[in-house]
Amino acid sequence: MSLVVAAATFLRWLPHHGWFVGSLVAAATLTAITINFTRKRRLHRSIQGINQEAITPVIASTTALAGSVVILSLLGIYTILFLPLNP
Amino acid sequence: MSNPTHTSESGRRGHLASRFLRGGHDPDPRFTLANERTFLAWIRTSLAILAGGVAVEAFMADFFGSELRKSISVLLLAMAFLIGGGSLFRWLNVERAMRSKGPLPLPWIAPFLALGAALVALVMVAVVLARPN
Repeated sequence: MSLVVAAATFLRWLPHHGWFVGSLVAAATLTAITINFTRKRRLHRSIQGINQEAITPVIASTTALAGSVVILSLLGIYTILFLPLNP
Repeated sequence: MSNPTHTSESGRRGHLASRFLRGGHDPDPRFTLANERTFLAWIRTSLAILAGGVAVEAFMADFFGSELRKSISVLLLAMAFLIGGGSLFRWLNVERAMRSKGPLPLPWIAPFLALGAALVALVMVAVVLARPN
């Protein structure tokens, strides 16, 4: 949900910065959709982990989520500092 | 807690988990899940700050001058970047500490967030006070 909100605020830049910001919106939305569709699997994994008293943390998805937030922030800074505003 | 599954921990863990978690014993799964929830809370905070940074740049054109608006936005986005990245390292360090039964690391991103928020609030107060009526 937070990613969708972030994508929605990026939409405000769309008329000024064009396709580049469009790709940011698409990336944030795709990440949000992926998280939503894998929610059931993660819930199942957590329940199984509690039942068996052992759970292995999923490094890949955690890193991917943090990485996507970091990349979105960096691209936001790049947009503000280096992309010219089209009126 | 003697758990027979400890003997096959490295086999059950994936390649990435074995490489990054560096041995130790699996903690209570509730602790691992709590650590994951804390990580997600930091990510939500980071995304909220990111959206705030974009909103300042996009919606405050009538309120701030161009340079000040850019500075506040970049400051907020840099905070989002550091908190997003820092939350991953915090999650990993806490997970390792729980596995080795060591002390939990101090969350450096918490004072950083407090300082950043205070700085942005101070700038806002200064701008509002200095603004002609």
